[in-house]
Amino acid sequence: MTIERLQDVEFGEELPVFAPDTGLANVKRFALAAGWDGPRFTDHEAARAEGLPGALVPGIMSQGFLAAMIHRWAPEAQIENVDTVFRAPVIVDQSYTISGVVTDIDEDAGKVEIDLTVSNEAGETRVFGTARVKLPS
Amino acid sequence: MTEPLDIDALRESFLGEVFDERSYAVDAKKCVEYALSCGELAPRYTDPNDPDFQAPPTFPTSFQGGKRLPDGFPKLPGLGMDAGKAVTAMKPIRPGVPLTGRKHLHDVYTKTGRSGRMVFMVIRLELFDPDDVPVATADTSIVIRERPSE
Repeated sequence: MTIERLQDVEFGEELPVFAPDTGLANVKRFALAAGWDGPRFTDHEAARAEGLPGALVPGIMSQGFLAAMIHRWAPEAQIENVDTVFRAPVIVDQSYTISGVVTDIDEDAGKVEIDLTVSNEAGETRVFGTARVKLPS
Repeated sequence: MTEPLDIDALRESFLGEVFDERSYAVDAKKCVEYALSCGELAPRYTDPNDPDFQAPPTFPTSFQGGKRLPDGFPKLPGLGMDAGKAVTAMKPIRPGVPLTGRKHLHDVYTKTGRSGRMVFMVIRLELFDPDDVPVATADTSIVIRERPSE
């Protein structure tokens, strides 16, 4: 179910979990579009040569996943702000899930706040963020 | 060993001063690829024929180039790591419309833990349309871990 209006949102509501595509081909596609196509993002061996555990999903791509997740939940949502903390690396070709929960609703302003977390298969937080979103009334 | 950064002096000398200005082009095809690879489904981000077609709201955090820190900024006592990004969208960014970006040091602060002091620097890129109307800000947080005094 998607959200159309602010009145459809409940405090504490959980957004549908989103499993982003962190496969190498998709990360390369993003990296080229963003102009962030350095080898640490597009080549596992090159990343390991830098001492990294593997190619990294760019932090800005994780941020993009958060925005996409919000739009999948509420297609007309206008994202006003996303503040993202990169706590630990997100590795290409590993599986992650993103969860989100509504933590505030300002009915007068027509806005909600959402906490978002990118977790690995062990349930460890890799990236977390907060978004402020405007919804139609 | 490098001297610890003097946070008060850095704030006094550098906070709020624009240290870089440059133009940014926003290409429609790149916006679409950016959006689709992130998993966007909303046509206003994925379809150039949509009447409300625009760059994804987080697109400004991808803008790079220019000076990383102000001229005269002291040598950092370690390699800076990207600790986070924040974007604030004020107006839709329309592909094809050139933007002007101005950077300043927005904040400097510290956190201290058992392994020593960490210094956070927030670099803010402010983006303006051709009428000099602000359209977005993109913040990059850089963290430096200082080694404890020996």
